[in-house]
Parts: sequence; structure tokens; C-alpha cells
Amino acid sequence: MATTRLDRWTRVLSWAAALSLVGLLLMIFFFSPTERTMGNVYRILYFHVGVAWVGALTLFVALVAGIFYLRRRDPRWDTISLASIEIGLVFVTMTIVSGSVWARPAWNTWWIWDVRLTSITVLWLVYAAYFMLRGAVEDDEKRRRFAAVYAIFAFVTVLMTYLSIRFLRSIHPVVVGGVAESATGLTEGESEFASGVAWKMGVTMAVSTVSFTLVYVSWLLNRIRLQQMIEEVAQLKNRLLARL
Amino acid sequence: MTDNASQHATPATGSTAYLQAIWAIVWKDLTMELRTRQSLTIMAVFSVAAVLVFNFALELELDAARNVSTGLLWIVILLAGTLGLNRTAAVELENRSIDAVLAAPVARSAIYLGKVLSASLFVLALEALLLPLFIIFFNKPYWLPQVMLIIILGTIGYIAAGVLVSSMSVQTRSRDVLLPVLLLPLSLPSALAAATAVAAFMRPELPAWSEVQAPIALLVAFDVLMLTAGFLVYHYVVEE
Repeated sequence: MATTRLDRWTRVLSWAAALSLVGLLLMIFFFSPTERTMGNVYRILYFHVGVAWVGALTLFVALVAGIFYLRRRDPRWDTISLASIEIGLVFVTMTIVSGSVWARPAWNTWWIWDVRLTSITVLWLVYAAYFMLRGAVEDDEKRRRFAAVYAIFAFVTVLMTYLSIRFLRSIHPVVVGGVAESATGLTEGESEFASGVAWKMGVTMAVSTVSFTLVYVSWLLNRIRLQQMIEEVAQLKNRLLARL
Repeated sequence: MTDNASQHATPATGSTAYLQAIWAIVWKDLTMELRTRQSLTIMAVFSVAAVLVFNFALELELDAARNVSTGLLWIVILLAGTLGLNRTAAVELENRSIDAVLAAPVARSAIYLGKVLSASLFVLALEALLLPLFIIFFNKPYWLPQVMLIIILGTIGYIAAGVLVSSMSVQTRSRDVLLPVLLLPLSLPSALAAATAVAAFMRPELPAWSEVQAPIALLVAFDVLMLTAGFLVYHYVVEE
């Protein structure tokens, strides 16, 4: 019964994640300045961008864990991959919802079938299908193997989502590593980044990314522990059945 | 010259054997299809039915139908392709012929590439049937060579993903249902890019290269990524 108590790292990281989220909220509302053109609405972008980046990170971790599973055949890698995709799907959902809430005042609509928005919806569908694939395979080893292969394939859509905005014309602003000219909403915001109070925005954005990464890592540890408990229960059940 | 040739003698025979393996798979699939005519017939009948159904839905708005015809083309290709892939994989599983193929002493990646090639040929044959229909029904210039090139590019990426996913889905409990659920979202990025590019050619005047450059670059990127991923991981799907 080694898993009934939280181990030290899980506890420390869970507290760190909770506290950093509170700190982030305070920073978003009291530390970072009000934006020139969008006013207070832009504050949701700290959440949106942070969550989006960590979402991509989780899916990348799932890809790497999938590759390691195929090489080593250690079920622990599969657990990491599964847990990351579960968490990643929640992060992608949060990205879509927060983006939609921002789009209402910024673009005057909840949703447009723009390239970026369409491709992230496709991404969501691709990773939702991952669980259907897992559910359809009975053999444990085969399920892990197929899941790993699918996690590798599915990552192509992550890359396509990333590439699509850089190649195709989109209304969605590019904050990191893109050309600002296509941005209709955040261009003014970015010029503000360069002026006097911009460093405060940069710091808040960095804190946001770090906090959500902490949330991911602590969540991952808790999820891995949950998986261990599930397996332990399955073993106990088998032993009990053997006894009867 | 002779030095070079002798140095590369071994890899050359190796790669010849590899190409022969690919060709053998393509030949086997084509022969099978010629004798049974299962996949192609199913795909063709389904596509014609689908086009007719869409025509009913859009009949009242002929202009609307013309404007959405590029999207319609890709919907029909994706759905019919799913049927064909499912059929091919199921036939192979029913007759256990896949076991014999896997027992052959050739690289699994060669089997994958052969299957991609033969399935692409089937879907291209289907498209050869569909394009005249679309020209007749929607009166749009689908005969342009650029359009055909885009359609070929879109087909390759779709099939590269499809062969891998169908080899997985036939081995599962809910095989007939699972393939479209997995494959449609996976191939949507390429279908979107392809539909965008084809739509640019449907206007009265030809588009500038700069206009279609981006979707075509995306298509090529998708093809390369999917083919590489399939090439590298196919043997994990069919092992045991």
C-alpha cells in the first residue's frame, strides 16, 4: 500500500502550483498595466497564452513518452503518455474557451472559422479520438503500443496548427516567433510591450507560463499515482478472485 | 567511376531489393483489386451517391453548390477513402493474407510504402472518376493540371495516415466505426489546405503563385511528416 499517501514531491509540487496560481492571478489583476487599446479585456491573454503553451508542452511530452514506450516497452512510459494527453486535452479546452471569451469583445464574435481556430478544434478532436482508440483495444500490451503510435501521429496536427498560422492568412495574432503584421488584435499590444511599462507585461506572461507548467507537472504526478492505484486495485481483485 | 560503383555495390542491391519489395506489394494489391473489384466499386458507388445527396441538399441554391464544390470534393474523397481503406484492410485480415505478407523477409517500411502507393492509386482512380462528375455538375475548371497536382498531394498525405490508422483499427474491437473517427480529424489539416488551394483555382482568372504558395507548402509539409512518421512506426503496428 505504498501509494495510499502522497509522496513528498507530489505534495510540494501541488502546493507550489496552487500558490503560484494565486500569485499569478494577483499579478494579472494588480501588477500588470492596463492595455492601451483593449483595456482590461486583454488580461485574459495571460491565461490564454500560458495555457496554450503548456497544452503544446503536454502533447510533446506525450509524443516523447510514446517513443520511449516503443523502445523500452516499460508501461510507466505509457502512463506518462496517457496522463499527458488527458491533461493536454483539458489545457487545449481551456485555450479554446479562454480564446473565445477574449474574441467576443475583441472580434465581436465568440467564434470564427478562421485557420487557427479551425486547426485547434481539429487538434482537440484528434486527441479526443486517442481515448476511443484506447477503449477499443482489449489486449493491454497492444493498447499501449497503439496508443504510443497514435500519440506520435497525432503530434503532426500540433505541428500543422503551429505552421498554419505562419503560412496562411489568419485573424489570430502571433505573439511568439511570428510576423506581427497579420495580427489585428494584438499589434497595438505588442507595440506596448516595447514601451515603458511593457516589462511588467513580459514578467506576468513569464510567470503565467511557469505557473501553468507547475500545474501540469503536479497534475501529472497525481495522475501517475492514480494509475498506480488503479493497477494495484486490479491486482488485488485478481488475487481475491484466485482465492475464491 | 568504377571505384564508385564497386563501393556502392552492396547498398545498391539492398535498395533494389527494397524497391522490389515495394513493387511486389503494389502488384499484389492491384491484382487483388482487379480480381475482386471490391474497394474501387464500393468507393465509386458511394461517391456518386454522396454527390447526388449533396446535390439534393444544395439544389435550391445552384450558386451555393458551385461555391462549396471544392469542399464537397474533399468530403467525398475523405469518406470514400475511408470505405476503401477499411475494405482493403478487412479483406487482408479475413483471409489472413496479411500474415503471409508480414512473414516475407522484407523491411516492414517497404510494406508500408507499397501499401501507401497502391491505396493512393485506388483513390486517384476514384478521383479520375469524380473530377468529370464535378466538372459536369458544378461547371468549374477541375481539369486544370495545377488542380490535379494539388489533389495528388492531398491524396498522398491522407493515404499515408490512412494506411497506418487502418492497420491499427482493423485489429480492434470496433474496427468499422473506429477508422473514420481516428482518420478524419487526423487528415483534416491537409484537406483544409488542399480545399483552400483548389478553391483559389476555381475563380475565372488564375491565382498568383503567392496566393496558393502557403496552402501548397502546408500540404507538402503534411505529406512529408505523415510519410516519415508512418515509415518509422509502421512495424510497431503490425508486429507479433
